[in-house]
Amino acid sequence: MMFIIIGITLCLPSAGYLIVENVRQISTKIQHEAEISIFLKKDISQDQIDFIDSALKSSPEITKIHFEPKLVAWEKLQSKLKLSTLDIGISENPLPHGFFITLNTLSKEKINRLTEDLKLINGIDNIVIDGSWIKKLRAIIYMIKVGLLSLGSLLVIVLIVIISNTIRLQTLTYQNEILVSKLIGATNSFIHRPFIYTGLIYGLGGGVITVSILKGMVIAFNNLAERYEYILGNTIVLVGLSATDYLIILLSAMLIGLFSSFFSARQSIKKLENLY
Amino acid sequence: MIKFEKVFKKYPGEMDALQDINLEISSGELVFVTGPSGAGKSTLLKLISAVEKPTNGSIIFENTNLSELRNKDMPFLRRKFGMIFQDHKLLYDRNCFENVVLPLEINDINPTDSARRVRAALNKVGLLNKEKMNPITLSGGEQQRLAIARAIVSRPSILIADEPTGNLDKGYADEIMNIFYSFQQVGVTVIVSCHELPKSPIKFKQIHLNKGQISNSDSHVPLLS
Repeated sequence: MMFIIIGITLCLPSAGYLIVENVRQISTKIQHEAEISIFLKKDISQDQIDFIDSALKSSPEITKIHFEPKLVAWEKLQSKLKLSTLDIGISENPLPHGFFITLNTLSKEKINRLTEDLKLINGIDNIVIDGSWIKKLRAIIYMIKVGLLSLGSLLVIVLIVIISNTIRLQTLTYQNEILVSKLIGATNSFIHRPFIYTGLIYGLGGGVITVSILKGMVIAFNNLAERYEYILGNTIVLVGLSATDYLIILLSAMLIGLFSSFFSARQSIKKLENLY
Repeated sequence: MIKFEKVFKKYPGEMDALQDINLEISSGELVFVTGPSGAGKSTLLKLISAVEKPTNGSIIFENTNLSELRNKDMPFLRRKFGMIFQDHKLLYDRNCFENVVLPLEINDINPTDSARRVRAALNKVGLLNKEKMNPITLSGGEQQRLAIARAIVSRPSILIADEPTGNLDKGYADEIMNIFYSFQQVGVTVIVSCHELPKSPIKFKQIHLNKGQISNSDSHVPLLS
Protein backbone atom coordinates (compact mmCIF):
# COMPACT_ATOMS: atom_id res chain seq x y z
CA MET A 1 0.00 0.00 0.00
CA MET A 2 2.77 2.39 0.99
CA PHE A 3 4.63 1.58 -2.24
CA ILE A 4 1.57 2.57 -4.27
CA ILE A 5 1.05 5.82 -2.33
CA ILE A 6 4.70 6.83 -2.80
CA GLY A 7 4.73 5.64 -6.42
CA ILE A 8 1.65 7.59 -7.45
CA THR A 9 2.59 10.70 -5.47
CA LEU A 10 6.01 10.82 -7.13
CA CYS A 11 4.45 10.01 -10.47
CA LEU A 12 2.52 13.29 -10.65
CA PRO A 13 5.50 15.68 -10.88
CA SER A 14 7.57 13.10 -12.80
CA ALA A 15 4.90 12.68 -15.47
CA GLY A 16 4.64 16.47 -15.72
CA TYR A 17 8.40 16.62 -16.14
CA LEU A 18 8.25 13.90 -18.83
CA ILE A 19 5.69 15.88 -20.83
CA VAL A 20 7.49 19.19 -20.41
CA GLU A 21 10.79 17.58 -21.45
CA ASN A 22 9.16 16.25 -24.62
CA VAL A 23 7.61 19.64 -25.48
CA ARG A 24 10.92 21.36 -24.74
CA GLN A 25 12.82 18.99 -27.01
CA ILE A 26 10.31 19.55 -29.81
CA SER A 27 10.46 23.33 -29.33
CA THR A 28 14.25 23.29 -29.37
CA LYS A 29 14.20 21.29 -32.58
CA ILE A 30 11.71 23.69 -34.16
CA GLN A 31 13.61 26.70 -32.96
CA HIS A 32 16.77 25.48 -34.64
CA GLU A 33 14.80 25.31 -37.85
CA ALA A 34 13.09 28.69 -37.34
CA GLU A 35 13.21 31.10 -40.20
CA ILE A 36 13.11 34.78 -40.76
CA SER A 37 11.00 35.69 -43.75
CA ILE A 38 12.14 38.78 -45.69
CA PHE A 39 9.56 40.15 -48.11
CA LEU A 40 10.87 42.47 -50.80
CA LYS A 41 9.25 45.52 -52.35
CA LYS A 42 7.14 44.79 -55.41
CA ASP A 43 9.07 47.14 -57.71
CA ILE A 44 12.48 45.77 -56.72
CA SER A 45 15.11 45.31 -59.40
CA GLN A 46 17.24 42.21 -60.00
CA ASP A 47 20.37 44.17 -58.99
CA GLN A 48 18.82 44.97 -55.64
CA ILE A 49 17.84 41.31 -55.19
CA ASP A 50 21.44 40.28 -55.92
CA PHE A 51 22.70 42.89 -53.46
CA ILE A 52 20.38 41.63 -50.72
CA ASP A 53 21.43 38.04 -51.49
CA SER A 54 25.12 38.90 -51.12
CA ALA A 55 24.41 40.90 -47.97
CA LEU A 56 22.64 37.91 -46.44
CA LYS A 57 25.46 35.58 -47.47
CA SER A 58 27.98 37.79 -45.69
CA SER A 59 26.10 37.63 -42.40
CA PRO A 60 27.70 35.12 -39.97
CA GLU A 61 24.38 34.42 -38.19
CA ILE A 62 22.71 33.07 -41.32
CA THR A 63 23.23 29.42 -42.15
CA LYS A 64 20.71 28.87 -44.92
CA ILE A 65 19.26 31.22 -47.52
CA HIS A 66 16.35 30.34 -49.74
CA PHE A 67 15.05 32.79 -52.31
CA GLU A 68 11.52 32.33 -53.54
CA PRO A 69 10.50 34.42 -56.55
CA LYS A 70 7.01 35.87 -56.38
CA LEU A 71 5.84 33.73 -59.30
CA VAL A 72 6.80 30.50 -57.60
CA ALA A 73 5.13 31.67 -54.40
CA TRP A 74 1.97 32.53 -56.30
CA GLU A 75 1.88 29.13 -58.00
CA LYS A 76 2.42 27.37 -54.69
CA LEU A 77 -0.42 29.30 -53.09
CA GLN A 78 -2.76 28.53 -55.91
CA SER A 79 -1.98 24.85 -55.88
CA LYS A 80 -2.33 24.73 -52.10
CA LEU A 81 -5.72 26.42 -52.20
CA LYS A 82 -6.66 24.56 -55.39
CA LEU A 83 -7.81 27.80 -56.98
CA SER A 84 -7.16 29.53 -60.27
CA THR A 85 -6.88 33.27 -60.83
CA LEU A 86 -10.31 33.23 -62.40
CA ASP A 87 -11.91 31.73 -59.31
CA ILE A 88 -10.76 34.50 -57.03
CA GLY A 89 -10.89 37.29 -59.59
CA ILE A 90 -7.27 38.36 -59.20
CA SER A 91 -5.43 38.75 -62.44
CA GLU A 92 -2.17 40.11 -61.05
CA ASN A 93 0.20 38.25 -58.69
CA PRO A 94 -0.18 40.00 -55.28
CA LEU A 95 2.78 38.27 -53.65
CA PRO A 96 6.29 39.77 -53.33
CA HIS A 97 9.66 38.09 -53.79
CA GLY A 98 10.88 36.57 -50.54
CA PHE A 99 14.07 35.40 -48.84
CA PHE A 100 13.67 32.71 -46.17
CA ILE A 101 16.72 32.49 -43.97
CA THR A 102 17.70 30.11 -41.16
CA LEU A 103 19.81 31.40 -38.27
CA ASN A 104 22.47 29.68 -36.24
CA THR A 105 21.65 31.68 -33.11
CA LEU A 106 18.78 31.82 -30.67
CA SER A 107 19.97 35.05 -29.05
CA LYS A 108 17.24 37.65 -28.98
CA GLU A 109 19.79 40.49 -29.19
CA LYS A 110 21.56 39.05 -32.26
CA ILE A 111 18.28 38.40 -34.06
CA ASN A 112 17.07 41.96 -33.30
CA ARG A 113 20.37 43.43 -34.47
CA LEU A 114 20.19 41.44 -37.70
CA THR A 115 16.61 42.49 -38.44
CA GLU A 116 17.50 46.15 -37.72
CA ASP A 117 20.43 45.92 -40.18
CA LEU A 118 18.25 44.25 -42.80
CA LYS A 119 15.59 46.93 -42.49
CA LEU A 120 18.20 49.49 -43.57
CA ILE A 121 18.76 47.75 -46.92
CA ASN A 122 16.91 49.36 -49.76
CA GLY A 123 14.29 47.07 -51.34
CA ILE A 124 13.26 45.18 -48.21
CA ASP A 125 9.60 45.76 -47.41
CA ASN A 126 8.86 43.60 -44.39
CA ILE A 127 10.66 41.17 -42.05
CA VAL A 128 8.78 38.48 -40.12
CA ILE A 129 10.47 36.45 -37.40
CA ASP A 130 8.75 33.12 -37.64
CA GLY A 131 10.18 31.78 -34.37
CA SER A 132 8.60 34.32 -32.04
CA TRP A 133 5.84 31.92 -31.01
CA ILE A 134 8.47 29.42 -29.96
CA LYS A 135 9.85 31.96 -27.53
CA LYS A 136 6.40 32.25 -26.03
CA LEU A 137 6.20 28.47 -25.87
CA ARG A 138 9.58 28.39 -24.16
CA ALA A 139 8.42 30.93 -21.61
CA ILE A 140 5.31 28.85 -20.97
CA ILE A 141 7.43 25.71 -20.58
CA TYR A 142 9.64 27.55 -18.11
CA MET A 143 6.61 28.65 -16.11
CA ILE A 144 5.22 25.10 -16.14
CA LYS A 145 8.61 23.83 -14.95
CA VAL A 146 8.55 26.26 -12.02
CA GLY A 147 4.99 25.16 -11.28
CA LEU A 148 6.02 21.50 -11.41
CA LEU A 149 8.94 22.19 -9.09
CA SER A 150 6.59 23.80 -6.57
CA LEU A 151 4.12 20.93 -6.92
CA GLY A 152 6.98 18.43 -6.59
CA SER A 153 8.23 20.14 -3.42
CA LEU A 154 4.75 20.05 -1.91
CA LEU A 155 4.34 16.39 -2.79
CA VAL A 156 7.74 15.58 -1.27
CA ILE A 157 6.55 17.22 1.97
CA VAL A 158 3.36 15.14 1.76
CA LEU A 159 5.48 11.99 1.31
CA ILE A 160 7.72 12.88 4.25
CA VAL A 161 4.64 13.35 6.44
CA ILE A 162 3.09 10.04 5.28
CA ILE A 163 6.28 8.00 5.73
CA SER A 164 7.10 9.68 9.06
CA ASN A 165 3.64 8.93 10.36
CA THR A 166 3.85 5.30 9.25
CA ILE A 167 7.23 4.88 10.94
CA ARG A 168 5.91 6.59 14.08
CA LEU A 169 3.04 4.09 14.21
CA GLN A 170 5.53 1.26 13.72
CA THR A 171 7.62 2.46 16.65
CA LEU A 172 4.45 2.38 18.76
CA THR A 173 3.72 -1.17 17.55
CA TYR A 174 7.25 -2.23 18.55
CA GLN A 175 7.26 -0.15 21.72
CA ASN A 176 7.91 -3.14 24.02
CA GLU A 177 10.73 -4.42 21.84
CA ILE A 178 12.34 -0.97 21.76
CA LEU A 179 12.08 -0.52 25.54
CA VAL A 180 13.44 -3.99 26.31
CA SER A 181 16.26 -3.55 23.79
CA LYS A 182 17.22 -0.23 25.37
CA LEU A 183 17.18 -1.74 28.85
CA ILE A 184 19.52 -4.54 27.84
CA GLY A 185 22.01 -2.27 26.13
CA ALA A 186 20.90 -1.57 22.57
CA THR A 187 22.36 1.59 21.07
CA ASN A 188 20.13 4.10 19.29
CA SER A 189 21.59 3.12 15.92
CA PHE A 190 20.71 -0.55 16.58
CA ILE A 191 17.12 0.45 17.36
CA HIS A 192 16.83 2.93 14.46
CA ARG A 193 18.22 0.45 11.91
CA PRO A 194 15.08 -1.59 11.11
CA PHE A 195 12.99 1.56 10.80
CA ILE A 196 15.54 3.15 8.47
CA TYR A 197 15.62 -0.01 6.34
CA THR A 198 11.81 0.09 6.22
CA GLY A 199 11.92 3.72 5.03
CA LEU A 200 14.53 2.84 2.42
CA ILE A 201 12.46 -0.10 1.16
CA TYR A 202 9.34 2.12 1.02
CA GLY A 203 11.31 4.64 -1.05
CA LEU A 204 12.77 1.98 -3.33
CA GLY A 205 9.39 0.29 -3.87
CA GLY A 206 7.67 3.62 -4.48
CA GLY A 207 10.45 4.69 -6.86
CA VAL A 208 10.18 1.43 -8.84
CA ILE A 209 6.42 1.95 -9.16
CA THR A 210 6.93 5.55 -10.35
CA VAL A 211 9.48 4.46 -12.97
CA SER A 212 7.20 1.60 -14.08
CA ILE A 213 4.19 3.93 -14.41
CA LEU A 214 6.23 6.46 -16.43
CA LYS A 215 7.59 3.78 -18.75
CA GLY A 216 4.09 2.31 -19.12
CA MET A 217 2.70 5.76 -19.92
CA VAL A 218 5.27 6.29 -22.68
CA ILE A 219 4.58 2.86 -24.23
CA ALA A 220 0.79 3.28 -24.00
CA PHE A 221 0.89 6.81 -25.46
CA ASN A 222 3.14 5.79 -28.36
CA ASN A 223 0.93 2.80 -29.18
CA LEU A 224 -2.10 5.07 -29.18
CA ALA A 225 -0.35 7.70 -31.30
CA GLU A 226 0.68 5.03 -33.79
CA ARG A 227 -2.92 3.80 -34.05
CA TYR A 228 -4.24 7.30 -34.77
CA GLU A 229 -1.40 8.25 -37.09
CA TYR A 230 -3.73 8.25 -40.12
CA ILE A 231 -5.98 10.85 -38.43
CA LEU A 232 -3.21 13.03 -37.07
CA GLY A 233 -1.26 12.80 -40.32
CA ASN A 234 1.96 12.55 -38.39
CA THR A 235 3.44 10.27 -35.75
CA ILE A 236 3.79 11.93 -32.36
CA VAL A 237 6.43 10.03 -30.38
CA LEU A 238 6.67 10.55 -26.63
CA VAL A 239 10.30 10.08 -25.65
CA GLY A 240 10.85 8.48 -22.24
CA LEU A 241 13.14 10.01 -19.64
CA SER A 242 16.82 9.13 -19.72
CA ALA A 243 18.30 6.35 -17.56
CA THR A 244 19.90 9.08 -15.42
CA ASP A 245 16.49 10.71 -14.87
CA TYR A 246 14.98 7.39 -13.84
CA LEU A 247 17.92 6.77 -11.51
CA ILE A 248 17.45 10.23 -9.98
CA ILE A 249 13.75 9.48 -9.37
CA LEU A 250 14.67 6.16 -7.73
CA LEU A 251 17.41 7.68 -5.55
CA SER A 252 15.21 10.65 -4.59
CA ALA A 253 12.45 8.28 -3.49
CA MET A 254 14.96 6.28 -1.42
CA LEU A 255 16.40 9.44 0.13
CA ILE A 256 12.92 10.69 1.03
CA GLY A 257 12.22 7.30 2.66
CA LEU A 258 15.56 7.31 4.46
CA PHE A 259 15.35 10.81 5.92
CA SER A 260 11.67 10.57 6.86
CA SER A 261 12.16 7.28 8.65
CA PHE A 262 15.37 8.36 10.38
CA PHE A 263 13.95 11.57 11.82
CA SER A 264 10.61 9.99 12.67
CA ALA A 265 12.22 6.99 14.41
CA ARG A 266 14.59 9.26 16.32
CA GLN A 267 11.77 11.50 17.55
CA SER A 268 9.46 8.63 18.48
CA ILE A 269 12.14 6.63 20.28
CA LYS A 270 13.18 9.73 22.23
CA LYS A 271 9.60 10.02 23.49
CA LEU A 272 9.54 6.31 24.42
CA GLU A 273 12.61 6.77 26.63
CA ASN A 274 10.38 8.46 29.20
CA LEU A 275 8.41 5.21 29.62
CA TYR A 276 11.14 3.19 31.39
CA MET B 1 32.74 -3.09 42.48
CA ILE B 2 29.72 -0.80 42.99
CA LYS B 3 29.90 2.13 45.34
CA PHE B 4 27.18 4.68 46.17
CA GLU B 5 28.34 7.94 47.74
CA LYS B 6 25.71 10.35 49.07
CA VAL B 7 23.31 9.43 46.31
CA PHE B 8 19.98 11.24 45.99
CA LYS B 9 17.32 10.58 43.38
CA LYS B 10 14.34 12.86 42.92
CA TYR B 11 11.72 12.58 40.19
CA PRO B 12 10.19 15.84 38.93
CA GLY B 13 7.24 16.92 41.08
CA GLU B 14 7.76 14.09 43.58
CA MET B 15 9.50 13.55 46.91
CA ASP B 16 13.03 12.14 47.01
CA ALA B 17 12.86 8.51 45.87
CA LEU B 18 16.27 7.93 47.44
CA GLN B 19 18.06 10.04 50.02
CA ASP B 20 21.68 10.03 51.06
CA ILE B 21 22.43 6.46 49.97
CA ASN B 22 25.89 5.16 50.80
CA LEU B 23 26.67 1.54 50.07
CA GLU B 24 29.25 -0.77 48.61
CA ILE B 25 28.73 -4.07 46.80
CA SER B 26 31.74 -6.28 46.18
CA SER B 27 32.30 -8.57 43.25
CA GLY B 28 30.61 -11.99 43.61
CA GLU B 29 28.31 -10.94 46.44
CA LEU B 30 24.68 -11.98 46.82
CA VAL B 31 22.69 -8.90 47.84
CA PHE B 32 19.04 -8.66 48.79
CA VAL B 33 17.46 -5.21 48.56
CA THR B 34 14.42 -5.38 50.80
CA GLY B 35 11.73 -2.97 51.91
CA PRO B 36 8.04 -2.16 51.54
CA SER B 37 6.45 -0.88 48.33
CA GLY B 38 7.60 2.65 47.48
CA ALA B 39 10.73 2.29 49.60
CA GLY B 40 12.95 2.95 46.55
CA LYS B 41 14.10 -0.59 45.71
CA SER B 42 13.38 -0.32 41.97
CA THR B 43 14.96 3.14 41.82
CA LEU B 44 18.09 1.79 43.48
CA LEU B 45 18.32 -1.04 40.91
CA LYS B 46 17.75 1.42 38.03
CA LEU B 47 20.61 3.54 39.31
CA ILE B 48 22.91 0.52 39.61
CA SER B 49 22.09 -0.62 36.10
CA ALA B 50 22.52 2.88 34.61
CA VAL B 51 18.92 3.01 33.44
CA GLU B 52 18.69 6.29 35.36
CA LYS B 53 21.17 8.83 36.66
CA PRO B 54 21.23 10.13 40.23
CA THR B 55 20.10 13.68 41.01
CA ASN B 56 23.04 14.11 43.37
CA GLY B 57 25.99 12.05 44.55
CA SER B 58 28.12 9.56 42.68
CA ILE B 59 27.82 5.93 41.72
CA ILE B 60 31.12 4.25 40.95
CA PHE B 61 31.08 1.03 38.94
CA GLU B 62 34.45 -0.51 38.08
CA ASN B 63 36.16 2.90 38.38
CA THR B 64 33.54 4.59 36.20
CA ASN B 65 31.40 7.33 37.70
CA LEU B 66 27.95 6.57 36.31
CA SER B 67 26.78 10.13 37.04
CA GLU B 68 29.33 11.47 34.59
CA LEU B 69 28.69 8.83 31.95
CA ARG B 70 27.69 10.23 28.56
CA ASN B 71 24.29 9.11 27.26
CA LYS B 72 25.86 7.45 24.24
CA ASP B 73 28.05 5.29 26.50
CA MET B 74 25.15 4.10 28.67
CA PRO B 75 24.08 1.19 26.38
CA PHE B 76 27.59 -0.29 26.47
CA LEU B 77 27.60 -0.17 30.27
CA ARG B 78 24.13 -1.77 30.46
CA ARG B 79 25.46 -4.74 28.50
CA LYS B 80 27.56 -5.65 31.53
CA PHE B 81 24.38 -6.25 33.54
CA GLY B 82 21.82 -9.01 33.24
CA MET B 83 18.43 -7.48 34.00
CA ILE B 84 15.41 -9.42 35.25
CA PHE B 85 12.11 -7.66 35.80
CA GLN B 86 9.04 -8.57 37.88
CA ASP B 87 6.85 -8.40 34.74
CA HIS B 88 9.50 -10.36 32.75
CA LYS B 89 9.39 -7.88 29.84
CA LEU B 90 9.34 -10.75 27.38
CA LEU B 91 8.43 -10.18 23.73
CA TYR B 92 5.30 -12.14 22.90
CA ASP B 93 5.67 -11.78 19.15
CA ARG B 94 8.86 -13.89 19.31
CA ASN B 95 9.44 -17.45 20.46
CA CYS B 96 11.60 -18.39 23.46
CA PHE B 97 14.78 -18.76 21.40
CA GLU B 98 14.26 -15.36 19.75
CA ASN B 99 13.67 -13.72 23.13
CA VAL B 100 16.89 -15.07 24.56
CA VAL B 101 18.99 -14.29 21.49
CA LEU B 102 18.12 -10.55 21.61
CA PRO B 103 21.08 -9.46 23.85
CA LEU B 104 23.46 -11.38 21.57
CA GLU B 105 22.04 -9.63 18.50
CA ILE B 106 22.63 -6.33 20.29
CA ASN B 107 26.20 -7.42 21.04
CA ASP B 108 26.64 -8.41 17.38
CA ILE B 109 27.60 -12.03 18.18
CA ASN B 110 27.70 -14.30 15.13
CA PRO B 111 24.64 -16.54 14.62
CA THR B 112 26.43 -19.85 15.20
CA ASP B 113 27.86 -18.77 18.55
CA SER B 114 24.55 -17.15 19.43
CA ALA B 115 22.58 -20.34 18.83
CA ARG B 116 24.98 -22.33 20.97
CA ARG B 117 24.88 -19.81 23.81
CA VAL B 118 21.10 -19.45 23.70
CA ARG B 119 20.64 -23.22 23.97
CA ALA B 120 23.13 -23.33 26.86
CA ALA B 121 21.20 -20.59 28.68
CA LEU B 122 17.84 -22.27 28.04
CA ASN B 123 19.31 -25.55 29.27
CA LYS B 124 20.56 -23.84 32.44
CA VAL B 125 17.02 -22.69 33.30
CA GLY B 126 15.41 -25.96 32.15
CA LEU B 127 13.63 -24.62 29.07
CA LEU B 128 15.68 -26.17 26.27
CA ASN B 129 12.73 -28.27 25.10
CA LYS B 130 10.57 -25.13 24.79
CA GLU B 131 12.81 -22.99 22.59
CA LYS B 132 10.30 -22.86 19.72
CA MET B 133 7.32 -22.05 21.93
CA ASN B 134 5.82 -18.62 22.37
CA PRO B 135 6.45 -17.28 25.90
CA ILE B 136 2.74 -16.59 26.34
CA THR B 137 2.13 -20.36 26.48
CA LEU B 138 4.54 -20.75 29.44
CA SER B 139 3.61 -20.63 33.11
CA GLY B 140 4.58 -17.61 35.26
CA GLY B 141 7.59 -19.44 36.68
CA GLU B 142 8.73 -20.57 33.24
CA GLN B 143 8.40 -17.04 31.89
CA GLN B 144 10.58 -15.76 34.71
CA ARG B 145 13.12 -18.52 34.01
CA LEU B 146 13.07 -17.46 30.36
CA ALA B 147 13.75 -13.88 31.45
CA ILE B 148 16.70 -15.20 33.48
CA ALA B 149 17.99 -17.07 30.41
CA ARG B 150 17.87 -13.80 28.46
CA ALA B 151 19.73 -12.04 31.28
CA ILE B 152 22.53 -14.62 31.53
CA VAL B 153 23.04 -15.38 27.84
CA SER B 154 25.47 -12.50 27.37
CA ARG B 155 27.46 -13.72 30.41
CA PRO B 156 27.12 -10.58 32.53
CA SER B 157 29.23 -10.01 35.60
CA ILE B 158 26.21 -8.73 37.54
CA LEU B 159 22.66 -10.06 37.64
CA ILE B 160 20.05 -7.54 38.75
CA ALA B 161 16.57 -8.81 39.47
CA ASP B 162 13.71 -6.49 40.40
CA GLU B 163 11.21 -8.48 42.49
CA PRO B 164 11.62 -11.58 40.32
CA THR B 165 9.38 -13.72 42.50
CA GLY B 166 6.73 -11.07 43.22
CA ASN B 167 4.04 -12.71 41.10
CA LEU B 168 4.98 -16.34 41.71
CA ASP B 169 3.79 -18.91 44.22
CA LYS B 170 6.29 -20.35 46.71
CA GLY B 171 7.31 -23.38 44.65
CA TYR B 172 8.18 -21.33 41.58
CA ALA B 173 9.77 -18.61 43.74
CA ASP B 174 12.13 -21.11 45.36
CA GLU B 175 13.02 -22.48 41.93
CA ILE B 176 13.95 -18.97 40.72
CA MET B 177 15.94 -18.16 43.86
CA ASN B 178 17.90 -21.43 43.51
CA ILE B 179 18.96 -20.33 40.02
CA PHE B 180 20.28 -17.05 41.47
CA TYR B 181 22.17 -18.90 44.20
CA SER B 182 23.80 -21.13 41.58
CA PHE B 183 25.02 -18.06 39.67
CA GLN B 184 26.42 -16.49 42.82
CA GLN B 185 28.32 -19.72 43.44
CA VAL B 186 30.19 -19.30 40.12
CA GLY B 187 31.27 -15.74 40.90
CA VAL B 188 28.44 -13.65 39.46
CA THR B 189 27.35 -10.69 41.57
CA VAL B 190 23.61 -11.10 42.18
CA ILE B 191 21.42 -8.22 43.34
CA VAL B 192 17.81 -9.10 44.03
CA SER B 193 15.08 -6.81 45.29
CA CYS B 194 12.17 -8.32 47.25
CA HIS B 195 9.59 -7.36 49.85
CA GLU B 196 10.75 -9.93 52.36
CA LEU B 197 14.09 -11.56 52.92
CA PRO B 198 14.13 -15.07 51.43
CA LYS B 199 15.67 -17.97 53.35
CA SER B 200 19.01 -18.10 51.66
CA PRO B 201 21.24 -21.14 52.17
CA ILE B 202 24.31 -19.06 51.39
CA LYS B 203 25.95 -15.95 52.77
CA PHE B 204 24.36 -12.72 51.65
CA LYS B 205 24.17 -9.00 52.25
CA GLN B 206 20.88 -7.24 52.99
CA ILE B 207 20.17 -3.62 52.11
CA HIS B 208 16.91 -2.64 53.75
CA LEU B 209 15.25 0.48 52.40
CA ASN B 210 12.50 2.51 53.99
CA LYS B 211 11.09 5.74 52.57
CA GLY B 212 14.08 6.16 50.30
CA GLN B 213 16.69 5.70 52.98
CA ILE B 214 18.80 2.75 54.07
CA SER B 215 17.46 1.46 57.35
CA ASN B 216 20.02 0.12 59.77
CA SER B 217 17.62 -2.35 61.43
CA ASP B 218 19.54 -5.33 60.02
CA SER B 219 22.75 -4.77 61.86
CA HIS B 220 24.50 -7.86 60.52
CA VAL B 221 24.60 -6.39 56.99
CA PRO B 222 27.90 -4.69 56.36
CA LEU B 223 27.08 -1.24 54.98
CA LEU B 224 29.13 1.83 54.26
CA SER B 225 27.80 4.37 56.68
